[in-house]
Amino acid sequence: MSGDHDDDFDPEAGFHPSCVGDVGRPEFDAPWQRRAFGLAVALSEFGHYPWEEFQQRLIGAIGAWQEAPSDARGRWEYYEHWVAALSGLVDDRGLLEPGYVMPEDREGGVTHAR
Amino acid sequence: MTERFSYPDDREAASAAQVRALEALLIEKGVISGQTVDKVLGYFESEMTPLNGRRIVARAWVDPAFSDRLVADTPKAVAELDLPVGMAGAEGEHLAAVRNEPGVHNVVICTLCSCFPWPVLGLPPYWYKDPVFRARAAREPRVVLTELGVPLDDDTEVRVWDSSGHSRWFVVPQRPAGTDGMTEDELAELVTTEAMMGVALASAPGAGTR
Repeated sequence: MSGDHDDDFDPEAGFHPSCVGDVGRPEFDAPWQRRAFGLAVALSEFGHYPWEEFQQRLIGAIGAWQEAPSDARGRWEYYEHWVAALSGLVDDRGLLEPGYVMPEDREGGVTHAR
Repeated sequence: MTERFSYPDDREAASAAQVRALEALLIEKGVISGQTVDKVLGYFESEMTPLNGRRIVARAWVDPAFSDRLVADTPKAVAELDLPVGMAGAEGEHLAAVRNEPGVHNVVICTLCSCFPWPVLGLPPYWYKDPVFRARAAREPRVVLTELGVPLDDDTEVRVWDSSGHSRWFVVPQRPAGTDGMTEDELAELVTTEAMMGVALASAPGAGTR
C-alpha cells in the first residue's frame, strides 16, 4: 500500500509523534467529524438501528476503498466512510421518509418502564 | 446514495455540509431533537475517557485476584468498580481484557474498521484508524512495536488481538518496577492509552516514556 496517504504517515519514516504521547492526541480533525460521530451514535442509542448494522456498513465502505486501485480512490479519510455509512443507513431505514415509525412506537419495540 | 443535495467540490466542505444537512433534516422530521447529538457527545467526552481504563488497570495492579477476574470475565469485573454506566450499543459491551506478563506482550488492532473499546479508552487516536497502521500491525507486529519504541526480547511472544463486533480488547500492561510504594491513584497516572492498546509500556515516573 502506498501513494495517497497522509504525508505525515510514512511507514518508511516511522510513526507519527502522536503515537507515543498520551497528551493532546487528536480525536477529530474537524468539527464535522465530531458531529458525524455523535449523530451515528445517537441514532443507535435511541433505537433507530442496532450498532452492529452501522458497524457492518462502515466495514463495507472501508473495504471498498481498500480494494479500489490506489489511483482510482481519493486520499484516505476515515470519517468520509463514516458519513457514507451513516447516510446509507438513514436512507435504507427510511428515517427521513413520511410515515417513519419511531422506535418507541413500534410494536414489540422499545418497552417503557411504567 | 441518493442525490439529495448538490455539494461543493472540496471534499472537506462537502462532508461538513452533508453532515450538517443530515442532522438538520433529522431534527426537522422530529427523529431527533436539537439537543440530542450534543447530549450524546457530552456524555462521551465527559464520561467515556481513558480515565476509566486507567482505574481498571491500577486496580488490577494492586489486587491480583481482581486482575484474574478481569481477564476471566471483563464486563463483570469492570462492573465491580464505580465507573460511569456504559451506553448500551456504543461499543462498550463485549469488553475483553488481555494481560501482559513476562514473556507475553499483547497488541490490539482492528483490521477492518476501528472497533475501539470507547468506554475504557475514549476515542481512538487518528493514526489507529489509518489503513497502513492496521495492515502493518497485523502483518509484522514485532517490527511495528520496535518502531514505536517498545523493546521486546526475542523470546517474548507477541499476541495480536483483532477487535471486532464481538470482542473489544484492551491490554493490561505490566506494572512497572519501582512502584511498590505507590497508591492506586498514583499508579493510575502511569497508565497511558497507548499502553492499554499494547503499543507502549507503562513506565515508572522518571524512567522515561519508552
